[in-house]
Formats: sequence, C-alpha cells, structure tokens
Amino acid sequence: MRVTANTFPTQLLGQLNDLAERQNKLQEQASTGQRVITPDDDPSAMRRVLDLQTEQQSITQFSSNIARHQEMAQTTFSALRNIQKVADRAQEITTLADGLKSPQELATYAAEVTQLIKQAAQIANTQDRGSYIFAGTKPDQPAFVTATDASGNITSVTYQGNQSLPVSEIAEGQTITAQVVGGNNTGTGSRGLFADSRAGADLFNHLIALQNDLASGNTAAIQSTDSANLSKDSDNVLFHIGTNGAVQERLNASKSLLDTRKQNIETLVSNEADADLATTLTRLSQVQTAYKAAIQSGALVMNQSLLDYLH
Amino acid sequence: MLGLFSTLDLAARSLQVQQQGVEVAGHNLANVNNPAYARQRLNIVAAPSIGTSIGIQGTGAEAAGIQRLRDLLVDKQVANETSVSGSLNAQQSALQYAESNLGQQIDRHASGAEGAAAAEGVGGENGITQRLSELFNAFQSLSTDPTSLTERQVLLTKAQNLAAQFNETGTRLSNVRTFLNDSLQTDVGNANGLIADIAKLNDQIVMTETGGFGQANDLRDQLQSKLESLAKLVKIDTVANTNGSVNVSIAGAGIVSGSQVVDTLQAFDNGGGQFLVRTATGQATLTLTGGSLEGTITARDGALATLQTSLDTLAGQLISEVNTLHSAGFSLTGSSNANFFNGANAATISVNSALTADPSLIQASAVNGATGDNTVVLQLAQLANKKIAALGNQTFSGSFAGSVAALGQSLASVNSQIVNQGLVEDMLKRQRDSVSGVSLDEEMTNLTKFQQAFQASARLITTVDEMLQEVVALKR
Repeated sequence: MRVTANTFPTQLLGQLNDLAERQNKLQEQASTGQRVITPDDDPSAMRRVLDLQTEQQSITQFSSNIARHQEMAQTTFSALRNIQKVADRAQEITTLADGLKSPQELATYAAEVTQLIKQAAQIANTQDRGSYIFAGTKPDQPAFVTATDASGNITSVTYQGNQSLPVSEIAEGQTITAQVVGGNNTGTGSRGLFADSRAGADLFNHLIALQNDLASGNTAAIQSTDSANLSKDSDNVLFHIGTNGAVQERLNASKSLLDTRKQNIETLVSNEADADLATTLTRLSQVQTAYKAAIQSGALVMNQSLLDYLH
Repeated sequence: MLGLFSTLDLAARSLQVQQQGVEVAGHNLANVNNPAYARQRLNIVAAPSIGTSIGIQGTGAEAAGIQRLRDLLVDKQVANETSVSGSLNAQQSALQYAESNLGQQIDRHASGAEGAAAAEGVGGENGITQRLSELFNAFQSLSTDPTSLTERQVLLTKAQNLAAQFNETGTRLSNVRTFLNDSLQTDVGNANGLIADIAKLNDQIVMTETGGFGQANDLRDQLQSKLESLAKLVKIDTVANTNGSVNVSIAGAGIVSGSQVVDTLQAFDNGGGQFLVRTATGQATLTLTGGSLEGTITARDGALATLQTSLDTLAGQLISEVNTLHSAGFSLTGSSNANFFNGANAATISVNSALTADPSLIQASAVNGATGDNTVVLQLAQLANKKIAALGNQTFSGSFAGSVAALGQSLASVNSQIVNQGLVEDMLKRQRDSVSGVSLDEEMTNLTKFQQAFQASARLITTVDEMLQEVVALKR
C-alpha cells in the first residue's frame, strides 16, 4: 500500500492517543484502588455494588436497633430483679405472720407491706429515656397510679397503660420487643407483669389485701389466700425474667449473625469493585514502556526524508 | 522530415511540457498538508504524428491534461462512516454529561460525613442511593423510640437531604436536556452554512468547467470536503450530475439541486422541549439516520429521557407510598391526615413544612392516644424492602440502582462502538490517503525528473540553433 507524507504522522498520533488514554485509565485505577469507579466502567458490577451498599447500610441500622433493644432489656431486667425481691419479701412476711404473732408485730408487718407496695409502684413506673417502660404504647404517662387514704395506707394501684407493645426490626421482616406490658386482664395478648388474668397474678391488689389483712389481724386469710396469691405473683415474675433472658440471647445471636454478614458483604464488594494492585501496576508499566517506544521510534522515522539527500 | 524550424518548435513545446510538469509537482508539494487535497498528475501524450516520405513521424510531446487521483467509492464510504462516527460521538458526549450530572460513583475511600460508611469499608458517595438508605434507616431508628423528639428531628433532616438531592439531580438532568437542545440548534445553523457553501461551489464548478478547460480539480476537492463536514452533522445522500455539480438530499428531502439551495434545515420544538429537525420551507419533520444531529436526538430522547422518567417515577412513588402510610397515622399531639412529602416528581419533592417546624407532628402511631405505638413508622421503615409494582416490582433502592446501571450500560456500549468505528474509519482514510495523498519523496523525484528533461530539451534547442547557424552560413 502506498504510504504518503501524512499517513505516518496521523498513525503515530492515533497510537500515542490510545496509549495515553490507557495509561490514564490504569493510573486512575491504581490511585483509587478501584476497578469500577463510574457506572460505565462495568454497569452490572455497579448495580451489584449499589445493592450491597444498601444492604450494608440497613445492617448497620439493624445493629443499632439491637443495641437499643439490649438497653431496654437490661433496664427491664434490673426492674424485674427488684420486683422479685419485693414479691419474695412479701411471701416471707406471709409465712412469718402466723397466729403466734402479736397485733403490734402484725401492725409492723402491715407498715412494711405498705412500703413494699410503694416500692413496687416506684419500680412499676421505671423510665427509660423519658418513657415509662411498663405502660405499653402509652409511655408518656406513668404506668400505675396509687391512691392512698387519710392514714397513708394505699387503697388501690391502677394500671393506666394498655396491652400493646411497640416492636421494631432486628433483621428484614424480623421484629422483636424487649418491653413488658404492666398489666393484661383481657385474657389475650402478651403476658402482663404486675397483673395477668391467665396467670392469676395481681401483685398490687394481693399486696394491698395482705396489707389490709395484716392491719386487721386476719392471719387465717394471710396463711391461705394471700400466700397462695403471692406465690402466683412470684411465678409470674419468674416467667418474665426467663423471657427477658431468652430475648437477650436472641438479640446477641442476631448481632453476631449481622456482624458475619457485614464482613461477607465487605468481601463481596471488594471482589466487584477493587482493582488488583499488582496486575494494574504491571499493566501500567507495560503501557508506559510501549508509550516510550512509540515516541522514540516515531521520532526516528519522522526525521528522515529525501530532502536530506538532494542538493 | 520535419525540418529544422519544426524541430525547434518541438523543442520549445517540450520545454513548456516539462515546465508544466514542474508546476504540477510544485502544486502537489504546496498542498501536502491540505487534508482535502487529492494529488494531481500531468498527463503527457505524444503530439499528433504527421505522415512523411519515410513514414509516420512523431512531433514531440504535449500535455493532455491534469488528472486528479481520487477513488470515488472510498470517498462515498468515508462520508458514510463520518456520519456514523458523528452520531456516536454526539451520543457519547451527551451520555457522559448525563452520567456526571447523576453523580453516582463508587468511592471506597469516602470520608467526611460519610466517613462512617467508609470506615465500614463499603464506601458510598453522596448520591441518591445513600440518601434513600439514610431515610429508611431514620424511620427504623424512630420505630425503636417513637416518642423521641431527637429521633424525629434526625428523620426530618434525612428526609430533607433526600428531597434536596432529588431536586438537584432532577434540575441538573433538565439542564443537560436544555444544553443538548441548544447544541442541536447550533449544529443546524452550521449545517445550513455548509449547505449554502455547497450550492456556491456547485455554481463555481459548473461555471469553470463550461469553459471547456477540463475538470476544476481544486474546486471539486473543496466540494468533497464540505460534503464530508456536512455528513458529520447529518447523513446525506449525494447524486453527482454530469456537469460536475452534486445534488444533496437529507432523509429523502431535496436540499441542494445544482447551484440552488432547494431547502434548509430548521430545529423546532415538537412539544415538551423535544426539539426535532425539519425542512424550513416544506415544514416536513425529518427522520435522521446519522450524523451528530441524530446522535444528539437519540441520546436525549433515549437514555436521558428514560433516566429522567425513572427518576421522576421513583420520586412520585416514594411520595405516594410514604404519604399513604403517614396520613393514616397519629402524631404525638393526636393530629392526623398530614402528608409527609409534598410535590409530585424529582424536581418538586419537598418535606411538609408543618412537620419541619414541629417534629412532634410526625404521625408515627396507628392508635390515637397511644403515643408509644410505632406501627405506622415501622411500616414506613419496612417500605425499604417493599417491591413496588410501578417500579417494575423492585424496591426503591433497587429501582434507582437499575436506572444507574442502565445509563452506564448505554454509555459503555456507545464507547465500545466508537472504538470499533474508529478502526473502520482509520482504515478507510488510510486507503484514501494511499490513492490521493501526496508523497514528498515522489514529488521530489518528479521535480528532478522534469528538471533533467527541461535541461535536455534546452540542449536540443541549442543543438538545432547551431545547426541553423550552419545552414544560414552556407550562403555568404
């Protein structure tokens, strides 16, 4: 093929342009460490990485939700322990208050039970971040209100909350709650802590009955009815302590699953988007050598012409 | 026998021919860097012979004409390929604008506000994907603590960020569309200028060639160059006339006929900012098949329009799904029926200003009076994984990732087409060059050749002159 004066420079320019473009791309890959930077570098890899990034973000959020639940579970657990102590002490008193005690001793016990009721009412109104945790989905008001008579005895403790619990997600489609309802006498739904019609528990009313029986000296009722009632209350608290433990176990297990998944996602994203530095740098130095060779050989050829030899 | 005077004539004519040879070689040398130039060659033929007593005798040489070396088939192919690469280049630059204005990249070393994400290792940019995730995560956070004013404030901030990102991206893509329309109009103006030039050159060629002096080589070269420039802007069909002019038609509509401009191009608004090309007098819309005008229109109405539509659909669906759930809920004050987002598409989406003024008005609860109920905000959080029918049964993030990938795919395929096209075009241009290009070595050799021949002819004159002197000196 006939080669003319302009064939060679045009060809050289085209080659240099190609090599410079490749050099630029490889240098960009080496400095960012990424094989895929813009969508047109590899559209399907881009799609996968974006999806993985979205998943990663939601895993981070689930981890934070779990942390919040763990906080709630621990607050609930301390409250449960304290209530257990109250119920245990009340049961002890029912055993101690037998027919052999004098009315003054019974009156002392009555005063102690009054204090126990007030203590339980205080625990029942535990707050976490400004919300009452035993009020169901009405956390803006105290869960229980006490009514006292003229002599300072408590006449009633009424539940103001409801029977619903707010749940939130710890994984896609998996919800959990670490909260406990204060009282549930409807017969369906989550078990109440202080009062539950299915378990036969009604801590406050049983304590008030005990208080009244001690004040009036009715040891027979104390031994039979009150003792039996309070043991049902104890069992109910134990049930909730067990459930709380199970919830915390589940939260821990979910957390470690999420941590594993997070690491896997990091590996997947790296496979898609990262550049193999060794390969990239090798190819970069290859292209640089080719570029140098092109320029040098071009310079050699471009300088020769018949004009050098004609006179 | 010719006789001495005839031989002198012969020598003088030979001198002229060699001189013309040098002139043509010089013309070629001068135009070595003219890309539109096709090399010319002097055709030398033997002068008519005459019958003499000893037989038919030749009378020297004469210049038959100046021939232009051009392969018309390669020229036509080059014009076609120029149209194709014009179209592809226009598409590439339009799609590159769209991609950079979309602003979605992968950055594994992101820092700043996204430093936490980078620390997680996955890396994100401040694109819409990131903002969508943040919105749904804020809903999740609020579901764990529905009465918290802090969480509500954070949610509103994230929602505002997302709305702002939508607004900005929507506006930027509209600007790209406007810019493409402007460049369309500029190109149409350029094309009309070239059309006028072509008609003028046709006129000049016809006038020059009717004088009977042979082909107007340089004018024809210029005409071919103008035709190729026009082909880059829009695909043309040419028909060469016998008088040397070229008729040009675009998409079936006659544009140039001889020296007359039959029609010019015009860009017009076909409604909704969709600028198309039509003939100025005939007002017939042209369906273009090549050139940068067609490339701009294809990119604008194809990939760019798809991207804008999917972004608007995404924003619209987000607004309606969130509002449907939110308006059924109850706020901390017991109010209901308020929207979360206002607006209808990407450019107009915004957060309800009543909520930003008072975060307690966010309706997170499903039960009036139970402020701790989080059913509504939990459903809002779970929207992240809901497959939306109007988005092709994808989640919000999935749909956006799909749009980004689709744009990337369009650009990637145009890029690879351009590489292929470049190879074809280079090959054709080299072929043309080998036929029509000027080789310095060749021209220098020709110069030497004609110079020597000139010297030889001059020597012939000297010889005949001496012989004549002898003859004249015979009679004293």
